[in-house]
Amino acid sequence: MKYVGKKLLTMILTLFAVTLFVFLAFHVISGDPATSMLGTEATPARISALREELGLNDPVLVQYGRWAVNFLKGDMGTSYSYRMPVGDMVSDKIPVTMTLTILAFFMMVIIAIPLGIYTARHAGGVVDRTIYIINQVIMAVPPFFSGILITLLFGRIFKLFTPGAYVSYEKDFLGFVGYLLFPALAIALPKAAMAVKLLRSSVIGESKLDYVRTAYSRGNRTRDVLYLHVLKNALIPVVTFLGMALADMIAGSIIIEQVFSIPGLGRILLTSISNRDYPVVLAVIVCIAVLVLVVNMVVDLIYGLIDPRISVE
Amino acid sequence: MKRKGLKSLLLVFVLTTLAIALSACSGDKKAENSSQITIGIPQDLEDSLDPHKAVAAGTKEVLFNLFEGLVKPASDGSFIPAVASAYEETEGGRIYTFTLRDGVKFHDGSMVTAEDVKFSLDKCADASAGEPLVAAFSNIESITIEDEKTIVVTLKEADTEFLAYMTTAIIPASNEDPDTNPIGTGPYKYVSRSPQENFIVEKFDEYWGEPANIENVTFKICSNADSIVMDLEGGSIDMFARVTATQAEELSDQFDILEGTMNLVQALYLNNAETPFDDVKVRQALCYAIDPAEIMLMVSDGKGTELGSSMFPSFSKYYMEELNDTYNQDIEKAKELLKEAGYEDGFSFTITVPSNYQPHIDTAQVLVEEFKAIGVDAEIQLIEWDSWLSDVYQNRQFQSTVVGVDASNLTAAAMLQRFTSDSSKNFINFSNEDYDVAFDKAISSTDDKEKTEYYKECERILSEDAANVYIQDLPEFVALNKKYTGYEFYPLYVQDIAKLKLAE
Repeated sequence: MKYVGKKLLTMILTLFAVTLFVFLAFHVISGDPATSMLGTEATPARISALREELGLNDPVLVQYGRWAVNFLKGDMGTSYSYRMPVGDMVSDKIPVTMTLTILAFFMMVIIAIPLGIYTARHAGGVVDRTIYIINQVIMAVPPFFSGILITLLFGRIFKLFTPGAYVSYEKDFLGFVGYLLFPALAIALPKAAMAVKLLRSSVIGESKLDYVRTAYSRGNRTRDVLYLHVLKNALIPVVTFLGMALADMIAGSIIIEQVFSIPGLGRILLTSISNRDYPVVLAVIVCIAVLVLVVNMVVDLIYGLIDPRISVE
Repeated sequence: MKRKGLKSLLLVFVLTTLAIALSACSGDKKAENSSQITIGIPQDLEDSLDPHKAVAAGTKEVLFNLFEGLVKPASDGSFIPAVASAYEETEGGRIYTFTLRDGVKFHDGSMVTAEDVKFSLDKCADASAGEPLVAAFSNIESITIEDEKTIVVTLKEADTEFLAYMTTAIIPASNEDPDTNPIGTGPYKYVSRSPQENFIVEKFDEYWGEPANIENVTFKICSNADSIVMDLEGGSIDMFARVTATQAEELSDQFDILEGTMNLVQALYLNNAETPFDDVKVRQALCYAIDPAEIMLMVSDGKGTELGSSMFPSFSKYYMEELNDTYNQDIEKAKELLKEAGYEDGFSFTITVPSNYQPHIDTAQVLVEEFKAIGVDAEIQLIEWDSWLSDVYQNRQFQSTVVGVDASNLTAAAMLQRFTSDSSKNFINFSNEDYDVAFDKAISSTDDKEKTEYYKECERILSEDAANVYIQDLPEFVALNKKYTGYEFYPLYVQDIAKLKLAE
């Protein structure tokens, strides 16, 4: 409990720093919400009236303070460009990005764990070597490019999905998940390749330790040694990696959303940045930051479950 | 215990994913509804949905289907009565009397009253925020309700073009949230929206006029320009209004490709207050250096219409084709002019181009090559649209920029007022006394023929004074699924969905 409290405090401080940084960054880059909203219809009189209305004439820190206080009260403000409550916009999009990330995470685990164990057991074999080469190639390809390749291969050649045929989760949940499978694959593949490599070397490393020899000498079968003893220890570095990968996937989905035209948090984030729609940008960033921090905390707690010797206190 | 936990966890992973993967395959195909269409739009309506406050061209072209003014533009550029059934212009264009049409309903079912009309016009004429929402409304002296069916708009000064501003949307006074809940009188009514995903409208059954043909219309946001062809071919969208020449070529087998013009003036806009562009000879030299035909060939397969001034052919009344020949490519002449201006060895400058619009970027690249021939060294600087709005358009901190300028309504003034020396929209800092005089005369003239002459005089000055390096009106290619027909081009930036119908 003490641990969770401590983590929460760090989380709040991190969020404070992140949002303040975003706020300041927007005041440095050129462009301004008022000119953005008025477009080519802008005249100096209308701009100054709008700036006054939005409170943009106040000092930066005053604006930040006002935003932070409202945010803590649960009011994320109103989008400058959409004029709708930011809360509605963001909560509408969180399920999209979350589903995408979770799907990708499951895919990664499903691909990586069996393959990792298999290659460790058959280290040096033909399959191991082939997988090694494939792994290297996949790791070298950035997700957005694998996204394009997947669209080409599964969408255009095999016609397993229709590119751009995204349906909203409210309208057709299964169709929605179905459309997300291939984008999720694009996110999962490079991470899975890394996890395979890590698990393989971790299992091999553990197999050389004394307790493994003892287990064998007690008459255990190879399979039991592997699954009952080695794997439990070998998984710890992998869990760390999976945790980091999950956090990375949340951020990575922003790019994949662009490639597959998925209207998730990433799409809103990018367009809001170019529209100088600060309230939306801040809300999305807070969401992503919270997700990343929560994932980190969960990973720490999972350590304890796998190996009770590791205490989070 | 521990082993069991891990195993069952794994099992859950596998089963969930399998279940999802299997079930997903069945949910892919949606039923074909004969009376629906999905239209791809390049950007979301990141804007107020209040027709008086919406500014982005992309928003207005969609809202055109939801809202109407007392009159509305027709595809031939004339005005047809809408919420008003008739209008009368008296005192040489100083007093406009509108008779309201019987039985016009708002989307919420209420009847349009004279109060709603006055409310809408008053809202746009309200100058308490510095200036009115519709700039031209500063000329309104009064808006009065004569009787239940008659509205009289009295101007301070006669303006025979004022009808063009009466396309201003009529909205119900009772709508408390016009920014996000658009209620109008148009053939389509708003259903729902999801940011960055779609904007959905449906046919308004109680529309006063000729009803729309297609029941449900979804505007789908396709922000990824590279996947538009795929979206069209895959069937996730049925229409896209502005595909490029290359995409049009690719799609021409399966889709109807309709060709129109964008109705804008694409030019290398020069900051007339910056050296060396404050010298008319330098500006003229650049005009002599370029060849619009070559640009069109490189940018859009030779399609497009050459322009010589700030007016495009759809405004046939004002368009002057002869101005295209004010400057024809003549490298020697250009060099001579540069020499006279004291730039014998050429000079270098920056072309600022908004990065979101490929045809402008392509154009700038051709320009750079063409300027090399006269010893002028141009460098392209790509900039975000929002930075363009604030740096170039508002603060006028630029040397030159390639963009397209369109007309916000069907008057010549919409194109030409911008270049009067005191206009707040004169982002190129053009300043010419003769121009100001000619423009003033055009505005105050009540004789149509005389008025047109003065407007043409303005165009001539812009051309001869080489205010900008005029290039072309870009071609517009509309890709439409062969299931549909009836698309109509307008001289304005609108998409009239009500005219679309299913092909026989």
